[in-house]
Amino acid sequence: MNTIVCLKQVPDTETLIKIAGTTIAAEGIKWVINPYDEFAVEEAIRQKEKMGAGAVTIVSLGPDRAIESIRTALAMGADNAVHINDSGFYDKADPYATAAVLAAAIKGLDFNAIFLGKQAIDDDSGQVPAMLGEMLGIPAVTQVIKFEVAADKSKATVTREIEGGHMVVEVPLPAVFSAQKGLNEPRYASLPGIMKAKKKPVDVKNAAGLGVSDGPMIVIKEMSLPPARQAGKIITGDDAKVKAAALAKALHEEVKII
Amino acid sequence: MHGPQGEITREVFWNILGPGFPTEQVLLYVIALTAFLLFFRGLYKGGFYTRLKLVMKATGTDVDRVNNPLQRFWFAMGDVFGHRKILREPYQGIFHLFIFYGFIALTITTAIVFLQADFIYPIWHVWFMKGGFYLGLKLFANTFGILAIIGILMALYRRYVIKPKWLDEKPEDTIILWFILAILVTGFIIEGLRMQAVEIGPESHMYPYIWYAFGGRIVAYLFSGMSDVSLRATHMVLWWIHVLMAFTFIVYIAYTKLLHIFMTPVNIFLRPDTAQPPIRLMPPEMFECAETFGIHNVEEYSWKDLFDQEACMRCGRCVEVCPAFNTDKPLMPRDVIQNIRTYLEDKAKFVLDADGNYHIVPDEEYTGPALIGDAIEKDTAWSCTTCMACVEACPSYILQFPKLIDLRRYMVMMESDFAPELQTVFKGMENNSNPWSIGAHTRADWAKEIGAPQLSEKGQAEYLFYVGCAGAFDDLNKRVAVALAKLFDAAGLDYAILGTEEGCCGDSAKKIGNEYVYQALAMANIETFKGYNVTKIIALCPHGYNTLKYDYKELGGNFEVYHYTEILDALIKEGKIKIKERISDLGTITYHDSCYLGRYNKVYDQPRDILQAICSTPMVEMASHHAKSFCCGAGGGRMWMEEHLGTRINQKRTEEALASGAKTVCSACPFCLTMISDGIKELGYEEKLQSFDIAELVVKAAGLD
Ligand SMILES: Cc1cc2nc3c(=O)[nH]c(=O)nc-3n(C[C@H](O)[C@H](O)[C@H](O)COP(=O)(O)OP(=O)(O)OC[C@H]3O[C@@H](n4cnc5c(N)ncnc54)[C@H](O)[C@@H]3O)c2cc1C
Ligand code: SF4
Ligand code: SF4
Repeated sequence: MNTIVCLKQVPDTETLIKIAGTTIAAEGIKWVINPYDEFAVEEAIRQKEKMGAGAVTIVSLGPDRAIESIRTALAMGADNAVHINDSGFYDKADPYATAAVLAAAIKGLDFNAIFLGKQAIDDDSGQVPAMLGEMLGIPAVTQVIKFEVAADKSKATVTREIEGGHMVVEVPLPAVFSAQKGLNEPRYASLPGIMKAKKKPVDVKNAAGLGVSDGPMIVIKEMSLPPARQAGKIITGDDAKVKAAALAKALHEEVKII
Repeated sequence: MHGPQGEITREVFWNILGPGFPTEQVLLYVIALTAFLLFFRGLYKGGFYTRLKLVMKATGTDVDRVNNPLQRFWFAMGDVFGHRKILREPYQGIFHLFIFYGFIALTITTAIVFLQADFIYPIWHVWFMKGGFYLGLKLFANTFGILAIIGILMALYRRYVIKPKWLDEKPEDTIILWFILAILVTGFIIEGLRMQAVEIGPESHMYPYIWYAFGGRIVAYLFSGMSDVSLRATHMVLWWIHVLMAFTFIVYIAYTKLLHIFMTPVNIFLRPDTAQPPIRLMPPEMFECAETFGIHNVEEYSWKDLFDQEACMRCGRCVEVCPAFNTDKPLMPRDVIQNIRTYLEDKAKFVLDADGNYHIVPDEEYTGPALIGDAIEKDTAWSCTTCMACVEACPSYILQFPKLIDLRRYMVMMESDFAPELQTVFKGMENNSNPWSIGAHTRADWAKEIGAPQLSEKGQAEYLFYVGCAGAFDDLNKRVAVALAKLFDAAGLDYAILGTEEGCCGDSAKKIGNEYVYQALAMANIETFKGYNVTKIIALCPHGYNTLKYDYKELGGNFEVYHYTEILDALIKEGKIKIKERISDLGTITYHDSCYLGRYNKVYDQPRDILQAICSTPMVEMASHHAKSFCCGAGGGRMWMEEHLGTRINQKRTEEALASGAKTVCSACPFCLTMISDGIKELGYEEKLQSFDIAELVVKAAGLD
């Protein structure tokens, strides 16, 4: 089974984020594979291993630095990659433009399934999987936590996570799937994997070369950090009654919620 | 064979040489020669040669084993004849000493008799074994013979009455003890029989001297009523039995743990000439070209790793002290060694052909038992805390736990086969240079309030204060970092921290087996240190201390590294840290030796001296302390793994602290502090026991808190 994984490089969740205009300051940031995309990579590799044949292709839009994350995915066991190394396009891309350039890169490839993360943890749009399905004219199944493919690769039976429960759906292949936490436990790349990854082919492209000129439809106007959390206040008093009274007073007068 | 008549001596081969002389003597030579031949055949049959073949095919790198040969020789002699390590366990030490010197003395005596009767006398007709020398020899042999018997009885008593749970049991253990006892006892009996027949009685010119052979004399009382004919008949039968047993014993050596008689001294001679038990070096360039990492084929060990097995006599001292074994985990260091030994023979069946030639069998074609999984269970390799207690205890200077690190390396780097919780640890180290995965930019947050000087601002300082991950990120241990910064300030020490430029030391990664991540972390630190021309470093954590001090050297980082207890001890003694008021409200205190400070670096006294200086309450030692200190359970990366098997190591140590009668446990290691504090909480001992890091107490005593 041939699969494609769309992978985005994002800042590590623990990294200190500083705002620079309408984007974040790049320096000092530790970049990692989008955690949901790790589930996607792992699932693609597992499917390949299960079927005993096929290739996993990583497709990523991102600047030079994205190659590190692409190599990590290759080290985990993906076979080759397309790196749309186009920072001019990437810096302005909205989910639509992203989906468009990914679709263009994927169009000529031979695949049975496309795996994505359910959202990128940096801008949290969660739109790319659905748009990609639309642009490629194939179904998109989101929030996947279990994936099984028929032996003849004609269809997949997929469990989705829905509010308060699960839903099992069947979908003809090829199709787009977005991975939710719980789909699998991504592996830790072995050292031979890391070594081999250095030699795996990475096809470098850019948006113009892929014939994508669609600019973003969404423009970021402002970006800000959440206000710093204020220090907590400890209510003191001789007994519970006094403390409760003080609490009620504070909630009414200071926070004005009762 | 008669010596000079009327002299103070005895007839050699009395009652043995018949009229057909020299038939019996020739027979004796034939037996001796056969025994020596059978001994060498035994080396072959018993597997020694087979194992040696694989030892010689070992491909792993090793350290220099023969530098300073003289010094090595004398060191080995100190252990062999001085019983340096053996006597660390008094009971076992004494009985081994008795048996050892007993047999040496009797071998010397036999050799003298042999020399007299078979060389000197037949060739030169000189009889030197007479008079005072003869009597001295009798006294000497009797004394040591009796001591050897006492030693054997003590050993039997331990094996069958005391029955320590860490002692394993094979038929050879029983056979050997009873066998050597029988050799000695028959020796005394034939002496007694001979004495009764020819020396005891006023008519013998030897009668006044019979008590020099006091053992034989006492035994002779048993035969005082026997006729001369019976004495002689019994003597002759027993004499041959004694001789046959002695030579059978020589053959038996080749098949059993008795081989340690030869192998242990050799192994001690070959011991690593390094301050630390060496863990195989993986040169950085290896990561660019090697095909396999760690060890999964036994031949990938070094020849010395494999030779170690020959020197193990299954004494079990390593098992006795192993924290994993003592908390019911599937790890006994002795069995690691013994299993590799047996495995060598198993493996030989697949890699040695009928002619004994060695062939490499590629992994794909190999169908025999595996080193990882069959010879050594994965859980065994993962249970080790790298506490070094086994290495410290081993009288043969065998390195047990480093062999497990090699297996972990294979599992981690080649197969990504490790406890799932380690994945976040590795990623944390890779992305944020700390195992907690906390944002690297917060590494110096602990220092904000007290404004500890940073190298980036100060430019240069005499000492780099290397805080380490625990001091930087863990709430419990941030207090220790703050305390130390305050103390260094108060003492006027010229120091600085690296702040967010500091990285994880990599010790946990290394000991878990992720050498790749360890080296990346180490190289980053070394580069940063060198960038600031750092020469002297004070480490808060014993793990960082040990890693920076020894392991970084292998990667080109040569620094003078101190643990903070060494510095504080000196500062207190020099009066640079003034103790305002000695702490009096801690109750009895005890000090828990961190493995990486104590056994690894022999820093035993400084922490205790500091406590003596700052506390007015009495100090006690726990049941295990100093070189035998029991691990807290966090070393070797176990800090980051769940403890699914057996009972909890930290709780066992906490119980030990409580049992010592102490009210306060002091430590000087962030892992130990965490583990013991957790132990106290888990056991609900908050009312009975508290735990502190020494630095927290010094800051209090100095009035700086
Ligand atoms: C990481 C994460 C955190 C989250 N945290 C929160 C949270 O804290 N609180 C919370 O409430 N939610 C939370 N959510 C849920 C999130 O708000 C919803 O998943 C998201 O809004 C759904 O967007 P979608 O594009 O997947 O929606 P869709 O299901 O496609 O629906 C989007 C919108 O399309 C329109 N639409 C869809 N179907 C129809 C229809 N049949 N007829 C007319 N209009 C229709 C509706 O306007 C609908 O609101 C979180 C989600 C994620 C991924
Ligand atoms: S290092 Fe410690 S835990 Fe590991 S085997 Fe030796 S004694 Fe046991
Ligand atoms: S490894 Fe050393 S301590 Fe352990 S049983 Fe063997 S000889 Fe004894």
